[in-house]
Amino acid sequence: MSFGRFVLKRSLQGIGVVWGVVTVVFALRFVTPGSPINAVAPLDASQETRQAIAAELGLDQPLYVQYGQYIFDLLRGDMGFSYIKGQDVTTLVFGRLPATVELAVAASVVAIALAIPLGVISATRRNEPVDYGATLLSLGGISTPNFWLGIMLILVFAVEFNIFNTSGRGVNVGDVALSFVGPEPVFGTLLTWLAYITLPAIALGTYFMALITRLTRSGMLDELSKGYVQAARAKGLPQTLIRYKHALRNTLIPVITVLGLQLGTLIGGAVITEAVFSWPGLGSLVIDSINDRDWPTLQGSLIVIGTSFVFVNILVDVVYAYLDPEVVND
Amino acid sequence: MVSSRVIRNLKKEFRQSGLAKLGLALVVVIVLTAVFAPFIAPHNPTDQQLDQSELPPIGFSETTERTSSQMVDGEIQTVTEEVEITADPDHVFGTDGLGRDMFSRVVYGARTSLAVGVLGTLLAASIGVPVGLLAGYHRGRVDDALMRIADISLAFPSLVLAVALIGLWGRAAVDIPDPFVAAGLAPEMPESFVLPITVVIVVGLVNWVWFARVARGEALSLRGQEYVKASRALGADDNTIILRHVLPNAVTPIIVLGTVQVAAIILLESSLSFLGFSGTTLSWGFDIAQGRDYVSSGQWWIASIPGLAIMLSVIGINLLGDWLRDALDPGIEGEGGAA
Amino acid sequence: MSDAFGSGDAAPTGTPGPDDVLSVRDLSTRFFTEEGQINAVESVSFDLREDEILGVVGESGSGKSVTALSLVDLVETPGRITAGEVWYRDPDLAEEFRDTESVRVDGDHVDLRTVPPRVRRSLRGPSFSVIFQDPMSSFNPSITVGEQIAEAVEVQRRARANPRSTRSRTQGYGLGKYLLDGIVPGRDYTSEESMDRAIDLLGQVGIPDPEERVDEYPGQFSGGMLQRAMIAQALAGEPDVLIADEPTTALDVTIQAQILNLLKEIQADRGMSIVLITHDLGVIAEMCDRVCVMYAGEVVERGTLDSVFEDTVHPYTQGLLGSIPDVDDPQARLEPITGNVPSLVDAEMDDRCYFADRCPKAMESCLDKPPEATVDAAADHGAKCVLADREYDPADALPDDYFGAGPGGDAGADDGNPAATDGGEGE
Repeated sequence: MSFGRFVLKRSLQGIGVVWGVVTVVFALRFVTPGSPINAVAPLDASQETRQAIAAELGLDQPLYVQYGQYIFDLLRGDMGFSYIKGQDVTTLVFGRLPATVELAVAASVVAIALAIPLGVISATRRNEPVDYGATLLSLGGISTPNFWLGIMLILVFAVEFNIFNTSGRGVNVGDVALSFVGPEPVFGTLLTWLAYITLPAIALGTYFMALITRLTRSGMLDELSKGYVQAARAKGLPQTLIRYKHALRNTLIPVITVLGLQLGTLIGGAVITEAVFSWPGLGSLVIDSINDRDWPTLQGSLIVIGTSFVFVNILVDVVYAYLDPEVVND
Repeated sequence: MVSSRVIRNLKKEFRQSGLAKLGLALVVVIVLTAVFAPFIAPHNPTDQQLDQSELPPIGFSETTERTSSQMVDGEIQTVTEEVEITADPDHVFGTDGLGRDMFSRVVYGARTSLAVGVLGTLLAASIGVPVGLLAGYHRGRVDDALMRIADISLAFPSLVLAVALIGLWGRAAVDIPDPFVAAGLAPEMPESFVLPITVVIVVGLVNWVWFARVARGEALSLRGQEYVKASRALGADDNTIILRHVLPNAVTPIIVLGTVQVAAIILLESSLSFLGFSGTTLSWGFDIAQGRDYVSSGQWWIASIPGLAIMLSVIGINLLGDWLRDALDPGIEGEGGAA
Repeated sequence: MSDAFGSGDAAPTGTPGPDDVLSVRDLSTRFFTEEGQINAVESVSFDLREDEILGVVGESGSGKSVTALSLVDLVETPGRITAGEVWYRDPDLAEEFRDTESVRVDGDHVDLRTVPPRVRRSLRGPSFSVIFQDPMSSFNPSITVGEQIAEAVEVQRRARANPRSTRSRTQGYGLGKYLLDGIVPGRDYTSEESMDRAIDLLGQVGIPDPEERVDEYPGQFSGGMLQRAMIAQALAGEPDVLIADEPTTALDVTIQAQILNLLKEIQADRGMSIVLITHDLGVIAEMCDRVCVMYAGEVVERGTLDSVFEDTVHPYTQGLLGSIPDVDDPQARLEPITGNVPSLVDAEMDDRCYFADRCPKAMESCLDKPPEATVDAAADHGAKCVLADREYDPADALPDDYFGAGPGGDAGADDGNPAATDGGEGE
């Protein structure tokens, strides 16, 4: 199979999964206790409003018509209307998405950039102090609840030392980029951005840093004990080349898969991190929509989260196939 | 299966690894704490003593501004004075904002965490393992369907799905009478233990996929084994083969995954109770949420101590999991750690 | 046991001869494991002559693979070379170190155990190459075969440009460069020239369409083709000594013969010396000029092929010969050697002939450790066995149950960790 066909096949599978995600979210209406209207209408809605909503949602129609209508609306980019927020769900959700993506990307970039070298050093200096340090650090990292870590960071850096901001987003990354356009670069915007994003990014990224360190370390140890490493040594290849070109490459292949699967944990982690730092992202929106019983918003958020997960995993598979061409042939 | 070789490996790995010893010690302490909570806790964890609120842990003291109203020259004046609050030896970890003993709350919190962790894992395994084994063994359409369901299920983050389901279904809890208190052995303690049953069910439903994946993988590789083929050739029916040959061989990775899952579910439970989606108020996550409001005013211990309890428990269980994995099956990697 | 053994009457001693490419003296390699110290290689001595194929034969666990790894300093923790000399003939190297206090030099020979590790490392490739048993696990599955061979070429190219400088070989290839390579494909350690050379080499070892196959991954090669590719890789540095560790064990019988023929051709064309390690006496008979028989980490019998095969002294060698079918006499019953190779755990090794417990001709005198005795000086034939000097006398025989359950009853023998006692064979 060619690389292109592999990508196409994975994309088609991904579309199937997204369809499943949408179906599950549609079905959520019916697992809600009481009438589906309760799931959509605000609690204090009048009888007239309820009837209007029922008619608009087509709740008087047969199920398959409702389902078809739901899918059709989604395809047009219509995720319904939030009566509680008084806003179009699509606008609401996509307004919040960039903040979450920004936080998640910042957290994972820092995590990956720190964890892979740490894991490699830890494996190549096995049983030396640096290995023990990295092992303890990563053990603590995967065992610490991120919301608690967030609060502790606030306690130390914001309350005691008053260095960082603890609430909200300040400026977005686009503004930071814009501040560098023009004759005089301005660092103020960048500093503001850092003041807001640093603590939430650490709180969210620590678990991943720890996880990747562990996976990289054990993967490297595993790879370094393999026959091809011995053979590479026998042919006189320099140590750094054996470690980075040969062993690390093969270590990263399974690490990438696990990361793809753990993306859900990253988004889940973002939900709670946003709650701690009042970060105005999708996570806060999900919590708010549940507390407000704002089901259309919840449904829209779930669809966007599920679809992003599927999309990123396809991306992961494609990277995987690029690193390990054997996958394409399986 | 638990053969003498397995036990030998476990012992060998245990002797060699200081971390395994630490893990086992932590887990034993937590389990004993959870079981014998009424005897260990010095106070009823739900008793509020407002005159003793916000006491710092032993070894610390706290300076607070206290405002009071006094009659000065016939007028009521508000007087603010700096008060030094010292620790009370009766409250080792201090007290929370409502004057409840933090140490007792941490002790009782172990019950909630462990109960949800273990029951949730058992529920997830009892759904995931049979489904995974059947799908992996029969392959074909059942397997395809399972894999698609697993894909869809993985597309929702555990926490988001759990929050959504609890939001839809409400927060139910069951009261389980505490046998020690019922027997009159610890009369001042709470009479019953509140098990947040919705949380147990939801975390089970959310995390079954990990078990299904592992069980399926094992069944897939085992069904090709010669002895399985031989049994089939001898006319054994599929269910017998799954029970007698496939399941026993899949037990090891499932146990290792189960350990990791208990840790993951404890983290998930703490997140849910932090967000207020639990059915009990005696939970480490709930206490952290309470303590969060005191962080900026200086009462750091209310949020810190329950978090340390979570961290130590999860470290203990993870170390136990590492030990089991290294001793039983070096091949499995830490996949199912979804929190 | 002490290290005083191994230098008996006939064992190669003293200075290496001018024909010897490699002279190994009293080489011992031990593994320090949880179960105790494992004496994988025990005072092994032999010479490798110019232009010859030397066979090393023994059961798995006899220490032959560890011997091979010890020669090229590839023994890994918990293993360590604890004693011995490895004299390598290299006039340039000898000149370079002649005045260095710590390095032993003798004429054109240098004792590699005394040179700095950096120098030993730099000899891998241009002086020594290794062909491993399992080609599938000896190639990195995610890098093309051609690139892996080109790497070996590149190592040599850079080594020649600046002899024995580790820096020049590395040439700043670190994490940063790796990351850059990941982002910008094509930036690499290998060059176009080394890839061309890889195609050449693949052609030389008889791989059809080398231009196409050079870009394929190891998984796309058959076992036999991949073993050819490994030979090509080993030839990249034009080494003096080629160590072939069970090069055909993992292959089909029909392919085995092709690979052996290829090795023989290459040896004849290039005049290199080959150490051929195998458990198969048939292969030895086919290929080798001289042979060393290893048992429990020791060389128990050695000499020219004819002498060892015709005038076999050691009952172990006889046992090995007895367990291969004889085409001329198909009626004769095969006689397998009963029992297993001992665990090689230091604490469990009595100071006696290690084979005595399995030996059909074990006598009282076997309870003392036999030194190596000359069998036929002209054929360089020696054996560590009392039977070199005397006939078997049933009157002196040890009772059958002397070693517990008698010959073959040593149940604990296979309890040792085979991977630890015999390097690559566990793969």
